Amino acid sequence: MKHRTGYAAAALAVGALTLTACSSGGDDTPAPTGADGSTDWSGQTLTVMHYEGDDSAMGIAWNRAIDIFEEETGATVDLQTTAFEDLNASAEQLFDSSDAPDVSEYNKGNGTAGQLAAIGVIQNLDDAYAEYGWADKLGAGVDTIAKYNEDGVMGSGSFYGVPNYGEFVFLYYNEDLLAEYGLDVPTSMDDLESAFATFADAGITPLTTSAQEYPMGQLWYQLALSQADRSFVDSYQLYTDVVDWSGPEISYATETLADWVDAGYISTSVTGMTAEDAGLQFINGEVPFFYSGSWWYGRMLSDITSFDFGITNWPDTTLTPGSGGNIWVIPVESKQPELAQIFIDITMRPEVQALLGESGGLPVAADTSDIENPDAQALIEIFNEVNDRDGLSFYPDWPTPDFYGDLNSVMQGLVNGDFDPAGAQAQLEEYYESYVSTVR
Amino acid sequence: MTTLTTSPATASGTPKPDHNKTRPRTPSEWILMILAVLGALLVVFPMLLLLLNAFKSPADYANSSPLDFPEALDFTGIQTFWETQNFPRALWNSIFISGMVAILAVILSVLNSFAIGIGRVKGRTWIVLVFLMANLIPQEMLFDPLFRLYDDLGLLSNPWSVIITFTVIQSAFGTYLLASLLGTFPKEILEAAAVDGASRWRILRSVIVPIVRPTLSVLMVFFFIWTWNEFLLPLAFLNSSDSLTVPLLLEQLNGERQTDTTTLIAGTLISIIPTIIFFLIFQRTLTRGITAGAVK
Repeated sequence: MKHRTGYAAAALAVGALTLTACSSGGDDTPAPTGADGSTDWSGQTLTVMHYEGDDSAMGIAWNRAIDIFEEETGATVDLQTTAFEDLNASAEQLFDSSDAPDVSEYNKGNGTAGQLAAIGVIQNLDDAYAEYGWADKLGAGVDTIAKYNEDGVMGSGSFYGVPNYGEFVFLYYNEDLLAEYGLDVPTSMDDLESAFATFADAGITPLTTSAQEYPMGQLWYQLALSQADRSFVDSYQLYTDVVDWSGPEISYATETLADWVDAGYISTSVTGMTAEDAGLQFINGEVPFFYSGSWWYGRMLSDITSFDFGITNWPDTTLTPGSGGNIWVIPVESKQPELAQIFIDITMRPEVQALLGESGGLPVAADTSDIENPDAQALIEIFNEVNDRDGLSFYPDWPTPDFYGDLNSVMQGLVNGDFDPAGAQAQLEEYYESYVSTVR
Repeated sequence: MTTLTTSPATASGTPKPDHNKTRPRTPSEWILMILAVLGALLVVFPMLLLLLNAFKSPADYANSSPLDFPEALDFTGIQTFWETQNFPRALWNSIFISGMVAILAVILSVLNSFAIGIGRVKGRTWIVLVFLMANLIPQEMLFDPLFRLYDDLGLLSNPWSVIITFTVIQSAFGTYLLASLLGTFPKEILEAAAVDGASRWRILRSVIVPIVRPTLSVLMVFFFIWTWNEFLLPLAFLNSSDSLTVPLLLEQLNGERQTDTTTLIAGTLISIIPTIIFFLIFQRTLTRGITAGAVK
């Protein structure tokens, strides 16, 4: 904890430095501030709602955005923090009520933001995008989750939200364990599998994951993606075409996982493990590899004390699970839609984005050269590598509202032997088609 | 379950305490006692886990089993919880809401059951059934219509939205219970009071309520606890940070993909302290059991 506070404080200090640097530079371009300044917002209140922790990267950056906002507009911010699950349960009613926040963070994806967009509970932001030029700041793959069509399917249609950060999935490895067995950081699938074999021979389970929660499903998806191109992702996620559930991509994924379980690379106890359990195994130094997302990074930095860890992208793949993070939306009952847009725009500014990156998050519109913290740099570096190959491919459970549970149950069956790979694929196809065939 | 099976045996043993001292315990008594101790341990175990883990640093927690003792006493979890969450406010909200519901629901139950149980209105079985519907309907169904109602009334994020809802829901159960209790109320007492010239109001206030008071106080305690633990409807109605109740506040500590476990454990530990104090105060009322008044 002490370590983390120190880290956050350092990030704040660095952020403040970048900020002063930026604001002095910002004086040269008075056009946008002049336009905002023509309206007097003092005495007005903007209710902002989000569910990020106060010392998370987003929390730190957005607190800074609130300060800037209050200073520039003269309005005050009423910050309401909530919990992800709470808002998930109540947003549909809340955003359409007198209690609605003026601007809120909300969960991206078809079943969540897409649904709210389809029933008209969140505002169409096309005009705001045109006015503030947000589309130019967001890379391809990141802005997919900001657009929803009239059925609430992402990827096309109008803008309904603004992603402020990104997230993606990669390989965490234990440097000390790798060094102990004379192994290099794997850069190809062969490297990775031979490293797995070395550890398995030595009696160490090489890869930890969880079949009870998201990690194993994401690993399965990554394996399929490593054999796929963008058209597979479009079919799978955006329903542009029929997915071949016994095609080479998915067969490779299920068969590889089944082989790894047989070879002891993945323990059969993962059926009963949560993501937290898997993460703890890695943090405790019991396993050399853990495949999971950037949301673990800050935790790893603060909690791993007994060894050095490193991060690297999954080898031999152009596509990677990941997406823009959760999005800012403006509820239909927002009392201050204009102020809300100004606030969103401030969170997209380079100084706020840089602070987000410094604090361990993945900014979507930052100048990487502004970021000086080496841990943050390491993460942003491999994120940029994914973005350079236009690799963000979303998450396996997005296509249907129930696929998260469906996928986890099939993964459990695959591990404990209830399903052979072909059976697993058939079962997944049935789950997937039962929903997707109605919307394709 | 084990404690349930042991209680008749120990109850039959208690009238002759002198014998117990002199004669050695039979094997079956030993078995029952071991079962009772095991049952007690099962009950205490979660508390023990809370106590052990609330004082660990996040790194210590990550690196040790939940059953290990903390390496060093660490108060960051408790500190973070206290600093980031407005616990006193949530505690006050919970006490205010649960307290008001307990009092109002008992008053409402007494008035309803007076009409149904003593007044013997026609079709009372059906009326009681209609009342019970409030308990039988899943709360998920009430979620949307009640939300819109309170939105129109301007009562969102206002404790009264929860108080009104749960006064109705709890008093439905209270009406059911008290109506059947008052249905068997001795007529002689009521007639005697009427002969003495007591009005109906007077009969209710000075005759019936004092006699069923033990039941009423038990009901009040139950209403308080049930309302205290309510989650879904308060979650819907109470949206501003200032209006949260204790269970909602704890939920705020759960992240989307990760949870700051030590803070959550520390928060849980802090939040059960008022419940324990409440239990100590009302322990006698609670153990008296809900049918206490029925025997009189």
